[in-house]
Amino acid sequence: MIDRQIPQERLDLLWILAYAAALIFILRLLNMQVLGGAYYREIAEKNRTQIIGQSAPRGRIFSSDEKPIATSKPSFSLIYFPGQARTGPEIDRMARALARPLGADYDELRKRIFRAASREKPVRLAENLPSKQMLALSELKAVYPGVDIVVEARRYYPFGAYLSHMVGYIGRMDNRDWAVHSRDKNYSMDSRLGKAGLEQMYEKELKGKDGGIYLEVDSRGRLSRVLESRKWVPGADIFLTIDSKAQAAAEEGLKKSISGKGAVVALDPRTGAVIAFASAPDYDPNMFVLSGAEKEGLPAGKVLPEFNVALQGTYPPGSIFKIITSAALLESGRVDPQETVNCHGYYDAGSRVFKCWNKKGHGKVAFTEALAKSCDVYFYTTSQKAGALAVEKEARAFRVGKVSGIPLPGEKSGNVFGPSLRAAKKSYWFIGDTLNQAIGQGETLMTPMQAAGLIAAVANGGVFHRPYFVERIVRSDGQLYARGKPEVLSRVQLKPSTWTQIRQALRDVILDGTARSARINGAEVYGKTGTAQNPQGKDHAWFVAYATVNNEPAKIAVAVLVEHGEHGSSSAAPIAKAVIEAALRSELPAKAAPVRVIEPPQAPAPIQEPAVPGRIII
Amino acid sequence: MIFTPPSGLRKTRIDWVLFLAAIVLLAIGTIAIFSSVAVLPAQARIVRVQLIAIPLALIVFGAAWSLNYQVYQDQWKFVYGVMLVILAGVLIFGVVDKGARSWYRLPFFSIQPSEFARLGLILVLANFLDKRMGRIRELPTVVGAFALCMPVFLLLIKQPDFSAILITFPVALVMLFSAGASLFHLSIIIGYAFISALFPILWSIITLNPELLDNTMVSYFFHLSDSLFSASVFVAGVALGSWLLWRLSVRLYANVSGAIFAGAALVLILGFFSGMLVKNQMKDYQQKRLEVFLSPETDPRGAGYNLLQARIAIGSGGILGRGFFSGTQSRLGFVPERHTDFILAVVGEEMGFWGMLLVTGLYVLVMRRLMQGARLARDRFGYLVNCGIFGMFLVYFCINFGMLLGMAPVAGVPLPLVSYGGSNLVATMAALGIAESVYARRYALV
Repeated sequence: MIDRQIPQERLDLLWILAYAAALIFILRLLNMQVLGGAYYREIAEKNRTQIIGQSAPRGRIFSSDEKPIATSKPSFSLIYFPGQARTGPEIDRMARALARPLGADYDELRKRIFRAASREKPVRLAENLPSKQMLALSELKAVYPGVDIVVEARRYYPFGAYLSHMVGYIGRMDNRDWAVHSRDKNYSMDSRLGKAGLEQMYEKELKGKDGGIYLEVDSRGRLSRVLESRKWVPGADIFLTIDSKAQAAAEEGLKKSISGKGAVVALDPRTGAVIAFASAPDYDPNMFVLSGAEKEGLPAGKVLPEFNVALQGTYPPGSIFKIITSAALLESGRVDPQETVNCHGYYDAGSRVFKCWNKKGHGKVAFTEALAKSCDVYFYTTSQKAGALAVEKEARAFRVGKVSGIPLPGEKSGNVFGPSLRAAKKSYWFIGDTLNQAIGQGETLMTPMQAAGLIAAVANGGVFHRPYFVERIVRSDGQLYARGKPEVLSRVQLKPSTWTQIRQALRDVILDGTARSARINGAEVYGKTGTAQNPQGKDHAWFVAYATVNNEPAKIAVAVLVEHGEHGSSSAAPIAKAVIEAALRSELPAKAAPVRVIEPPQAPAPIQEPAVPGRIII
Repeated sequence: MIFTPPSGLRKTRIDWVLFLAAIVLLAIGTIAIFSSVAVLPAQARIVRVQLIAIPLALIVFGAAWSLNYQVYQDQWKFVYGVMLVILAGVLIFGVVDKGARSWYRLPFFSIQPSEFARLGLILVLANFLDKRMGRIRELPTVVGAFALCMPVFLLLIKQPDFSAILITFPVALVMLFSAGASLFHLSIIIGYAFISALFPILWSIITLNPELLDNTMVSYFFHLSDSLFSASVFVAGVALGSWLLWRLSVRLYANVSGAIFAGAALVLILGFFSGMLVKNQMKDYQQKRLEVFLSPETDPRGAGYNLLQARIAIGSGGILGRGFFSGTQSRLGFVPERHTDFILAVVGEEMGFWGMLLVTGLYVLVMRRLMQGARLARDRFGYLVNCGIFGMFLVYFCINFGMLLGMAPVAGVPLPLVSYGGSNLVATMAALGIAESVYARRYALV
């Protein structure tokens, strides 16, 4: 335009304004879309998807003979998706129809559906539906859209309270677990996870990958479509070194014992593999699967018997300690095994009289007979020659006071009793201490696990393995994930003659000593009974034994402790015998006296408990 | 020798670049609209309206282009009259939607007269400024221009349609500016507008922070708008205050004209009354939008939430976008008003950064061609009309983008050519048609 009245630069100014605005917008878009694209994309994805988690079946746990100890079974949950039936009368009608087959309260059910509908979130109406209800419900499913049944895997322990102290149990997340796992996408607040034992230790392997139904929802949370139904990946299976029959024998034996309390540990002396591992009292891990909190599963007023006697119970070893004393005597060179000691039933230590367990006395006994008959007086006399320090050294060599190293939590180390301890305490060591030490009383404390290690070392010539119980872990795709390996922790160096003499004496224990009840046809059993004095009540009974067949290296070594069992020979030895028989069942001659092998208890019928309301994931 | 102009300056009858840019924007907008409404229950109606509006808009464009634009100057009284009549008529015959009586309902579609009124005002204002070009630097010209706008604004407030005012007022400013009005006068007008907007904003801030009411001054200020009495006390106070200041400046021998004080007091008082008018006419949701802009966290599930969702939609588009018809944010309804005011969220989500860059670039191109057209216009009227249309695009562009990117309040302003809205589309294409008419009748060579 040719009008000089109008300042042309004003148009330029306006143009610069438009240009600057565009530039600012582009820079802002660059920031949001190019730099922040991934961030916003994630929010957008979260906005539109909702997940109904389906927990993957945990890996199974098998015994070495492939009997399932922990497994999973399908469980059906009823889920309500809001979006289809949402109006008041519709929900009323649906709640009324569902209440009867679910056995739930109508008002309560209606309230839950209403809440779900108003929050527009799917909800689990019932978990673990029995098949009887399933039929009735799947009919309703067709009538009431929005109700659906999903399959989930639920933990199941077929044998109930079987190996419970090793297997452990699973439970819901608590705050501490959540702190650990909240970052893990595989866990939600609703997840169950291992709370104790193997279930806890191998949580990562057993867990598997959860599946889920990924739903697309619109801005009001209404279901728009199912995006993806992701299949779960089961966890890895764990095969244990535990022999199911031996374990059953151990548990049965403890249950039938006088007090019903105690522990059995059976090891393979060649490798340290745990063949049986029982601790009574035990618990049924099934009861934690459904209930919310751990404690809810227990009957009112009861405390979970989580105390693991085999690892955490420390007892005076009593006469089984004489094996260690014997080693010290024979190694010291100051005691002639042929030399006899005359036992009158007591020993006069000057200030005090120490009794033999046999008040009548054993008469003149040499080493082998003394150990076989567990003559206290013989050990009182000879241990003074060898010296308390020598016995203490040998006790340490046999790993008294040291944990066995089994990879289970909470193991106690017991206590070594000896002069060096007193010296450290700036106290005195008396002759009475030497005598008490020699027969395993006094302050010596051992766990059943350590006792098993002791007898296994005798069987294999002094090798202490780290006990292990996981034979192999196999992933769900069949690939071997890990294999348990024997690991030598330490060795006891003794003269071959010492071993021979001790073994001879232990053989005599069975043949005509204190534990004749543990004789087995077709196998040579070596053993030693023990009685742990208990000032609070009846004495605890010990029995340690190993068995060989056809002079092959021993395949099993057992330690049994029965609390308040009084005599090792009567209460503990039969249990050990049953365990050995069960473990060696394939090698014992068939024509031998009928071996009573105790079958594991039959799997109980699937648990039918009232459906427990579930929470929805995310 | 016959003179042949260089090819670049050859006189074409139509500015193809402007037209094609508009058509491409329209195409992008239509795709985005169809995508965003695919899951809406009103889908069929929206698609139908859009498919009717596009040919209608093209016909109107063609008509406006072929008609000599000077006829509007000739018949400005008629234009102005029709404009006021349709705006007044809608208050009587119109239907209420979202609390505003701003629609004529016709058998097949509805018409929003304020969209056309804006265009009419540009024409009338251009005529006025053209006539007063000799006295453009005088205050009465500026005041007169706004006096011309005032009836329109009052009718719009009555609906109430604040976003129409929000668009039209700056357009008038742009026209005055490009006509060469005095910057001082313009700043008085801007000050007046600022004060009329400031009062409602201050009152909103007080509503948001009730603890401020403990202060008596604040409390008194808050209740100013409640009654005519307290309002007149305020007016008297302002008048007295400015008179005292003037006396003081005289005593101090400061060489300041009394007119400045009188003017300042007048602007303050007028701004106050306009602000009071705005506040009393504001609907709840408009009040809410203002509050949300002032403090977004007050209402996470409300307007602030919507804006956030729109931003998530844009951001999640990334560089390449999520593809046509696959934006989850907009299709699943997380983005509000997604086919109208927030259409850019859909474009950003589905077409990504490149799509947004394209829309921005096309807008800049359209504005550039409009400005070019203004420079080439045959007369001042054409120049001013083009400047007004340029200003309209500029304001729409700034407010719509700014709102979406969190730089301006949610004003309910569509993006012409891209957003859904039949009246807006037809009015916009009519405006572009008039701009093309100016271009077609320009001098051959400049």
